[in-house]
Amino acid sequence: MLWATRRGCHVDRMACMWLIRRRIDPNAGFHFFGDASEAPEGAELFDVAGARLSHRGDACTFETMLEEYDLDDPVLREISEIVHDADLMDDMYGRPESDGLDAVIRGMQLALPDDETLTLHTDAIFDGLYVYLRRETL
Amino acid sequence: MVYQLPREPSWHRVAVWRRLKALGALYLQDGAAALPEDAVTREQLEWLQLRVREAGGEATLWEASPNTVAENAALAEEFRGLREAAYGELIDAADELRRKAEMGDGETMLLEELARIDRAFRNERRRDYFKSPLRKVADAAIREARRVVREGAGRAAREDAG
Repeated sequence: MLWATRRGCHVDRMACMWLIRRRIDPNAGFHFFGDASEAPEGAELFDVAGARLSHRGDACTFETMLEEYDLDDPVLREISEIVHDADLMDDMYGRPESDGLDAVIRGMQLALPDDETLTLHTDAIFDGLYVYLRRETL
Repeated sequence: MVYQLPREPSWHRVAVWRRLKALGALYLQDGAAALPEDAVTREQLEWLQLRVREAGGEATLWEASPNTVAENAALAEEFRGLREAAYGELIDAADELRRKAEMGDGETMLLEELARIDRAFRNERRRDYFKSPLRKVADAAIREARRVVREGAGRAAREDAG
């Protein structure tokens, strides 16, 4: 299935792509656009204003996706708190990891040429975060 | 962002106002708030715009620049001014913490206060778009407070061991 989002991805969209590949659609393809009107027909939009998978009230898109796909996993719940704090910078969950994650991904955005390359690297970060938090949580 | 929200329920207006304050926005007038343009502020405003619309209001985003160099400089100065008060409070809090640590007050409480100040400073720095001169002063005051608190904690640990 083809998924599409805006170019210039930061932590929320990176986490969503990781979640899609690991839990929702292992064969996912991704398309990045400048304006939503350029999105390929039939692609599932995410983190785009007005889409089904987007911010909802106070929630970031990663949180919306957990809800939409009934992903009831305490470790993913923890990751969603970190992503929320890093994305919205409102300290809602007071997760100390969010500052570090924000800095690492912002730096990678600057160091890597495009979103396609970036997403190949960020999956490893979220895999690591997942394994680490699983040890702590379960 | 230029926006308008229905008068009731009033909590939407408060939530949007709080969010803009948290982002470090400068109100040019009622319902018109400005932020320096970068990828982060743009995205945050896009989400806020969505929120305003969800709450039954109207919001538009504009890219604007002041007409003259002088107005631009004055605007940057206003942005800096927004941060001065908060840095001032942090400096006072850090000095107070250092004094308490020097007198050997309760360690747990001191560490908690240090963590609170750290977090507040990080938040302030993130929305300090034009590097207010008080940032350095606050940073130095917090480092000094940390040094004294840690020395106190080290001494207490050695006394426990002895």
